[in-house]
Amino acid sequence: MAATHVDQELDARGLLCPMPIVKTAKAMRELPVGAVLKLLATDRGSITDVPAWADTTGNELLTSQEDDGTFVFLIRKVAE
Amino acid sequence: MPDHEKLVIMVTHGPEDPELATIPFVMAGAAVASDVEVVMGFQGDGCRLVQKGVADSVTAPEFAPLSGLLDSVREFGGRLLVCSPCAKSRGIEDELVEGAEICAAARFVAEVTSATSTLVY
Repeated sequence: MAATHVDQELDARGLLCPMPIVKTAKAMRELPVGAVLKLLATDRGSITDVPAWADTTGNELLTSQEDDGTFVFLIRKVAE
Repeated sequence: MPDHEKLVIMVTHGPEDPELATIPFVMAGAAVASDVEVVMGFQGDGCRLVQKGVADSVTAPEFAPLSGLLDSVREFGGRLLVCSPCAKSRGIEDELVEGAEICAAARFVAEVTSATSTLVY
């Protein structure tokens, strides 16, 4: 499977809840519909926060994985 | 879910309890970032949190600093309502952060009854 094209990367490592979500929301505002944001976070709460945020806001969480203590999310902007 | 979610968060703990002062702002930050309308109501010692400069000195262990959370809530359009007698009795009516609004009981009632959810701390 081809790797998903990433339009922007957001490094939220070291930030505590809910700042990864706040930064994500801010970054997504600036992106066009269809764009993909790659979010890096180290706050364990982001494991459940990011899916909940995507569900609440109607954005699409494409992938979620852990890489050596960093949680990596790919999120597609679905609507303004 | 309804087309429009509105969350009212009542805050009654001040800087002397950093954790219970911070948690309402954490919830408010998550809510505004999730496109939920947020109204924070400050009563009792909670009023002190929106006195100019106070948030800068409040950080609970393992929580984001209060000042950054307050900035985020305001940046995303969260509203800050402050109990009039609570602010007056503490002499801070004219020392509130920008955007904080003095109000009284009927306004709080109106905000709560028009909200989809209310949290009280």
